[in-house]
Amino acid sequence: MDWFDCNVGYGIARVPPAGGFAATPEELLEELGFCGVAEALVTHAAIRDESAQAGNHLVAEETSAHPRLHPIWAILPPQAGELGSVGDFLSDMRQHGVKALIAYPDEHRYLLNSLTLGPLLEEMTARRTPLIVGPKWAALTALLAEFPNLVVIVVGHGSWGEDRYYRPLMERYPGFHVDTANYALDGGVKAAVDRYGPERLLYGSGFPELQMGGSLLMVAQADVSEEAKAAIAGGNLRRLLAEVKLS
Amino acid sequence: MNSSILAGEFVARGRSESCSVIDMHGHYGPFWGIYLPKPYADGMLDSMDLCGVSATVCSSHSALVDQERGNREMAEVVKQHPGRFYGYRVVNPNYPKQAAKEVERYPEDAGFLGFKFHPDQHSYPLTGEGYVPALQYAEAHRLVVLTHSWGHSEYDGPKLVQQVAERYPQVTLIMGHSGYGEWDAAFAAARDCSNVYLDLTAAYRVNGIIARMVKEVGSQKVLFGTDLPWFDPHWAIGSVCFSRITDEDRHNILHRNAERLMAPFRATPRAQ
Repeated sequence: MDWFDCNVGYGIARVPPAGGFAATPEELLEELGFCGVAEALVTHAAIRDESAQAGNHLVAEETSAHPRLHPIWAILPPQAGELGSVGDFLSDMRQHGVKALIAYPDEHRYLLNSLTLGPLLEEMTARRTPLIVGPKWAALTALLAEFPNLVVIVVGHGSWGEDRYYRPLMERYPGFHVDTANYALDGGVKAAVDRYGPERLLYGSGFPELQMGGSLLMVAQADVSEEAKAAIAGGNLRRLLAEVKLS
Repeated sequence: MNSSILAGEFVARGRSESCSVIDMHGHYGPFWGIYLPKPYADGMLDSMDLCGVSATVCSSHSALVDQERGNREMAEVVKQHPGRFYGYRVVNPNYPKQAAKEVERYPEDAGFLGFKFHPDQHSYPLTGEGYVPALQYAEAHRLVVLTHSWGHSEYDGPKLVQQVAERYPQVTLIMGHSGYGEWDAAFAAARDCSNVYLDLTAAYRVNGIIARMVKEVGSQKVLFGTDLPWFDPHWAIGSVCFSRITDEDRHNILHRNAERLMAPFRATPRAQ
């Protein structure tokens, strides 16, 4: 199985995870290797805990020598200009090969809506750039009504099973995806695949907060076809990233 | 690369012939706050078979509300599937008369290991009077008590679990979720009290926590659990398989410890 993790991080956080973490890309690669994961979309803890400016710079610089690691950058409201203009930001993404963006609206204190992020979200929609975000269901429901073709990957949802929140979005918006990191619901993967096909689920580990091998074994042994497993394990993410236009 | 033989078997085939898993923390039936695709016996057995789980010890979700009706439901399931499902009889201390009856009825049903407490759901402290009749009965008959526990909970934090364990040394006290988040206190309770066991349910998802349990408490005091029909056993097994522990530890956690605890109940299913 060709594993491509859509939800993994490294770096020093304000509060270290209870059971350990990877401080460097090299340590993260060792952990990925232990679990047999080939590639990963990667954030740096500094993006969330320190600043988007510092973290975006760190993850681009530190992963540049590691082709198995693909940097994710955080977005901020362009009105304050902290990451430059929308045009500057897109240009920087192209320069550093950044193909996915992440939003931390609560931690970074902004509203995930068109008033705040409209021009950037329009560009992301046109360029097929995935927006990675936690399970902010009310905000996402409103946002997707305004940007129905935006590619979205919701990560870290569902220790209590959040099908009642996410299924309406999956039924209406073809660019809506969820990861498997915390989606441990028994029979959840099969139920989702049976109803929506395998294209909408992406393997994510949630490392370093979550144990990398849990979600992996769940997907590897899900009661679905081998083709469906391969799509979830990495095929879907590869397809989404291949569709991204950097310019 | 992970060199574990067990991990290789589970990744390749989903199960292991040498490691027939026992799940010490299951439930039964639908639940208010979550969509459960497979909440009943046929679906749970399907998942257990897919994952190489030979037996699950369950309590009824319904019993968390109506203990008499729910425990009766659980007893029927255990009766219909001997050897695959075992039971815990739920005690809801908010209804002391009914709770006392549930304790009195304990000997009526075969295949039960003891009692299930959920102090957080019932907003009732584990150390409260309402649990005393069940604990006294469990002490006298050397039963198992699975209690929900959560870090820093005023109702069932790990320090309260330790207090109860010290008061009732003959009770095998399984600390559900291992006092999730208050790890040091939970590990101390399991180290200090020979009758306290850590339960992996939900805790297994925390990166690195299983290795810490093994290092700080020992794999002989860690039990496998999933909350089935909530969580996919493969998610939990994967966490065990990809933790930095030995295959001996994995065998202890996945089945040997449970086999040891369950032996008296399998030989004499009706605890008198």
